[in-house]
Amino acid sequence: MSEAASTVLVIDDESQIRRFLRAAFELEGFVVRDAADATEGIHSATIKPPDLIILDLGLPDMDGAGVLERLRAWSKVPIIVLSVRSNEDEKVRLFEHGADDYVVKPFGMAELVARARAALRRHSRGAAGDSLIKCGPLEIDLDGRAVSLDGVRLALTPKEYKVLQVLARHAGKVVTHHHLLNEIWGPDHAHDAHYLRMFIRKLRRKIEKDPSRPSILLTELGVGYRIAQPRAQTDTSPRF
Amino acid sequence: MRPPSKTARLLNSFRNQIGPVVISLALVAAITAALIALTPVYDPTRVPSVYLIPVLVAATRWGIVPAVTAAFAGVLSAAFFFFPPKYSFHVADQEEVISLVLFTIVALVTSQLAGNVRHQAALARKRETEVRDLYAFSRRLAGAETAADIYAAIQDHLTTVIGQKVVIFGSTAQVEVPPDLVAAVPDQVRRDAIDVATGRDNAVARTTTDADSGATWLIRCVLSKTPEFGVIAVNLGGGGRDAIETITQHVNSLMEDAGATLERLDIGRALNEAKLRSETNLLRDALIGSVSHELRTPLASILGATTSLIEAPVIARDRRLAALAAVARDESERLNNDIQNLLDATRISAQAIRPKMEWSDPADIVNAAIERRSRRLSMHKLDVRLSGDLPLVNVDPILLEQAIGQILDNAAKYSASGSAVTVTAQRRDDQLVISVTDEGEGLTGEEKARLGERFFRGSRHVSTISGSGLGLWIAQAFVSAVGGALEAVSSGEGHGTTVSIALPAPQDPPRDDARELDE
Repeated sequence: MSEAASTVLVIDDESQIRRFLRAAFELEGFVVRDAADATEGIHSATIKPPDLIILDLGLPDMDGAGVLERLRAWSKVPIIVLSVRSNEDEKVRLFEHGADDYVVKPFGMAELVARARAALRRHSRGAAGDSLIKCGPLEIDLDGRAVSLDGVRLALTPKEYKVLQVLARHAGKVVTHHHLLNEIWGPDHAHDAHYLRMFIRKLRRKIEKDPSRPSILLTELGVGYRIAQPRAQTDTSPRF
Repeated sequence: MRPPSKTARLLNSFRNQIGPVVISLALVAAITAALIALTPVYDPTRVPSVYLIPVLVAATRWGIVPAVTAAFAGVLSAAFFFFPPKYSFHVADQEEVISLVLFTIVALVTSQLAGNVRHQAALARKRETEVRDLYAFSRRLAGAETAADIYAAIQDHLTTVIGQKVVIFGSTAQVEVPPDLVAAVPDQVRRDAIDVATGRDNAVARTTTDADSGATWLIRCVLSKTPEFGVIAVNLGGGGRDAIETITQHVNSLMEDAGATLERLDIGRALNEAKLRSETNLLRDALIGSVSHELRTPLASILGATTSLIEAPVIARDRRLAALAAVARDESERLNNDIQNLLDATRISAQAIRPKMEWSDPADIVNAAIERRSRRLSMHKLDVRLSGDLPLVNVDPILLEQAIGQILDNAAKYSASGSAVTVTAQRRDDQLVISVTDEGEGLTGEEKARLGERFFRGSRHVSTISGSGLGLWIAQAFVSAVGGALEAVSSGEGHGTTVSIALPAPQDPPRDDARELDE
């Protein structure tokens, strides 16, 4: 799948935002379609599924979580949410409703494009069923259940492996605290954030060069953790 | 300021009588002269009734002493000049003796009556003055806008009524007592007044007799319920018990009026101020809130478009175009930052900060703050020292991250590019201390003292470094919202600044047991 052919659907009620996003994404080699409200957006996404959706949260006719739910009912298309509010609770809620990423307005276009490409890559990799995740010196082999650092296999506890596995399966995407705790320690510990803190700190000592300034296992404050986006071999973008 | 003694008072009133007595005598003399001149046409037996004129005049004008003097002078003059034998006080005719005696009785009774009328009139005048004073006093109370007005009214009124200076000891700064007035108060009275004022003496009122002057002082709280509104000391003089009782009652009733006004004022003023403040704040916050939101939407387009331009190879290839695009981007980012600060300030003053506390790794928070400010800090040598075993802290990580971000912003803004900015985090006893140290402008004493003020900016930077003066104020509000304390230390102008955040960090975080988690 060539990135130059990727279609992005922008759903935003602000015409100025739509105008600049169209120009900026086209400049980056995307094909752009847009919609001014949720109904039109969902309709457009259903008629002709895009490769990526940019969804503004402040739509007049439907709330963000509602749009996500409607889209997720039938589609796995990557969705990046735009919001004027930097609200961690809302982020958590949207991630759990299936958002792939969350960008606060105003944002730099480079950042949005980078996140868009990352989301597209994750999606295509997920579709391809890639089982080897490389992140800097760290290699996670999901099939072989093995983790190695600079080619040396690490001795991890089962839970440590499981955490890395969950994060690697969503590599580059934020996994919420709640999700991690629930998946690894079970629902009884779903709210014990300090468990997770101490655990991650310990895990970082095993995989990070400088555990106090991590570069692989990253924290998304108030939301969750993610593994740094693996670099794709073909990360060239068309330029004018 | 001793009260006059009894003899002194008598002497005084005697001195006041000399003038009228002399005038009365002169009147008698004048009438005598007139009668002598009229002798050929005037029947001398009618003479005594003419002498009633000076008696009546003296009695109504000056009281009983001049009247009696005039009466006796009249009798003697009549006897001496008009009744035979003339030019002798001897009176031959029995009938004339009787008429002189009758005259004396009539004169004395008349002077007594006239004197009484005069006394009643004086009393009425005095009552009128008192009523007028009281009326003026209550008018002053009603018009009083500050506690100081009330104290001044009490002081003036009591001083007029009692004829004694009154001293009010304030327990608050609202009362200013002239030092010379305080100095006039005997030490014993002053001590007792302080006892009452501080509540050490459980009574609201008491009397104290000063051993030196023998004067009795009344000491009582202005407001009978509480010494909070000050204590009044009144010199009652050395008078008898009745006099003291009368003045005490007067003072008490006065204090009740004044106290009620004081209470009303205090509550009224507090309400007024609160109302005014909240209305101003509401208006300002609503304005800031709506303006900020209105500004943010177009700003999102501008920032998005300029960042897109910067990335475009056509522009990146041309150094000048790239510089122009960078200016547009940097300035819109700054504008965005200012708007964010205004929004935060609005949230703070609306008390809409709801910290969402969770156990967090301080290193994560510091790293996030540095990451978000990386471009602004790119011209500085950043040195981050986070010890590996920092305690977890129970904070709202986002608020703390924003507070640290504000401090980093300031460090970058007020120090030269190329200089070092050091960020440390370490445990200190039961606290976690996060510090940001720069090698910049430092702080003067005044700047340090006013650092926490909203919109405060050091005057030496106003024209050289842009900013709103909100940064540290926001940082401080966020830090205290998460239970910490912010402190700025500087060795002075030009010697850099260290801003530290101290957060409570218990030695044993709850169930700090990673091994258990592994099983």
